Amino acid sequence: MRHDSAFKIFSLSLIWVWLGLFALLPFLLVLITSFLEPGTTHLIQYHFSLENYHDIFSSIYAKVFVRSFGVAALSTFICLVLAYPFAFFMATAQDKYKNILLLLLIVPFWTSSLIRTYAIIAVIKTKGILNTILLALGIIHHPIEIMFTNTAVMIGLIYNLLPFMILPLYANLERLDFQLLEAARDLGASKLRMFFQIVFPLSMPGVLAGCILVFLPAMTIFYIPDLLGGAKSMLLGNLIQTEFLTIHNWPMGSTTSIILTAIMGLFLWFYWRKTSSADRKDLV
Amino acid sequence: MRFSTYIVGLCLLLCASVTYASQGVLNVYIWGGEVPDSVIQQFEKETGIKVNYSTYDNNETLYAKLKATKRSGYDIIEPSSYYVDRMRREGMLQVIDRQKLSNYKNLDPSLLNQAYDPTGEYDIPLVWGTTGLFINTKFFSNTTLDQWNQLWNPMYKNKVLLLDDPREVFSMALISLGYSASDSDPQHIKEAYLKLKKLMPNVRLFSSDAVPSLVADDDATVGMIWNGDLHNAREDNPNLKFVYPTEGFGIWVDCFAIPKDAPHLDNAYRFLNFMMRGDVAVQSTLQNNYAVANLAARQLLPKALANDPVIFPSAETLKHGEFQMDVSDEALALYNYYWTLLKIEA
Repeated sequence: MRHDSAFKIFSLSLIWVWLGLFALLPFLLVLITSFLEPGTTHLIQYHFSLENYHDIFSSIYAKVFVRSFGVAALSTFICLVLAYPFAFFMATAQDKYKNILLLLLIVPFWTSSLIRTYAIIAVIKTKGILNTILLALGIIHHPIEIMFTNTAVMIGLIYNLLPFMILPLYANLERLDFQLLEAARDLGASKLRMFFQIVFPLSMPGVLAGCILVFLPAMTIFYIPDLLGGAKSMLLGNLIQTEFLTIHNWPMGSTTSIILTAIMGLFLWFYWRKTSSADRKDLV
Repeated sequence: MRFSTYIVGLCLLLCASVTYASQGVLNVYIWGGEVPDSVIQQFEKETGIKVNYSTYDNNETLYAKLKATKRSGYDIIEPSSYYVDRMRREGMLQVIDRQKLSNYKNLDPSLLNQAYDPTGEYDIPLVWGTTGLFINTKFFSNTTLDQWNQLWNPMYKNKVLLLDDPREVFSMALISLGYSASDSDPQHIKEAYLKLKKLMPNVRLFSSDAVPSLVADDDATVGMIWNGDLHNAREDNPNLKFVYPTEGFGIWVDCFAIPKDAPHLDNAYRFLNFMMRGDVAVQSTLQNNYAVANLAARQLLPKALANDPVIFPSAETLKHGEFQMDVSDEALALYNYYWTLLKIEA
């Protein structure tokens, strides 16, 4: 037993040190930087200021926030609509198919998301696979221009984030007690009613977990609007990237990151309020 | 930020203890795609010096990295002309002793002692190029494009490619208004912003690192481009045409420089002298088609490249060119502010 507890203390403290050094410390640095001023000869001036926070709530930035929320909400909704039937099918499939489906879902993760985004470009570009096929079949006569539009950004976001919606939904639906459905059928409930009154409410923790996992990255995967959207319209991730790397305003970039973290915290708090600890298994 | 300095210092200490252990080491941090890997390998083979080689794709990254760490540990960097100007004035570079560089005589004198480094003590130019207009004649067969101002024409709605670089785009707008490409006057910068805002409906995309493939595959059919990128793209797509705008155009020069605290100075000099050898410098141009700033190398180029007016414009054309200069901090802050605004409002 002594050995056990020594090992436990060792591994736990290792994780605490790791988190402290690589999560908490950087976060604190960003937090501190967000209250400083940008410098000219140095990146940061050690001078306390609330100006960044004042600026971030001005109308220019509001536009980025609103656009990011809109894009994230739409992609989350489409992911949910696409993922739900798939997750349900997977949860109710026979075990041998279930494993194959899971594998198919996870295999793309073995390739970097950036490379998969470049693969999307190869498909949708002017002389891409899609246009070549459609032109060859005579379905269209001029290439469709999908690249560098909001549609392209949406395709990229949904493609990249769909698994994050499917997995928590699947984890939840797999635990669904199907005897409830039999009971409902015996009592004469229609299929639609069974879904909306039993299945969907019971899967709510999974839905929420999936939405959180899709919504937040959708605002911050900066390379998708950059590569597929032509770096034209900024989302929050692009704004942070530009502030840090193009215009060297580290304090403003930090402030934007802090606001984003606050939003994320708000979502998690809401999720925490709405779910019991047993439900929260879906998120992890 | 003291903590971060501490952490970074710790990491560098770890790296340093590794690098000091082996003698000949050189830490090189330069533009991606400008020096072929084979050249680095050749240098390692000839000198026995181990090169730690990493790259960046914009000056801002280089600048931010050097600013963020007191002792970056780099021996060779490669800022563009206007960053040579800035870093030199901020004391980030050290004077290069040209007596030690026997191959310095190979450099193209027309690119030395320019306004960004009037005494020529801080920079060793490697490649240079210009920013001009391009058009795909398959899509626009009977139009004459020879001015920046024509990009505002409604016929190019949702077609135009702009470089994803605040300075380049604002230089273009300022030149089109008849101002200097490196203007610091707030009123002029604002005018340029308002003019660019009107261009946005015509803009299809911003990009600076994937331009040749985008242009070669018809994903962008008109816009601004670096001349070397156009040369690359034209090899796959003969419909592409490069134009030196009559209003004027910017010239950039990417130059080697030695940071203030370079730890391996002797090796840095050996590297610079090696890179100025004609047979070495020519490799860069053979790979990326940017004009080489080295006359000995230029003689070794294939005739088709050495005589291409896109890459090596005539002295007459070059008269309209303007070397990119650094601008005041206030002006740079304005460029950046309007750049963000431009993209947010898009």
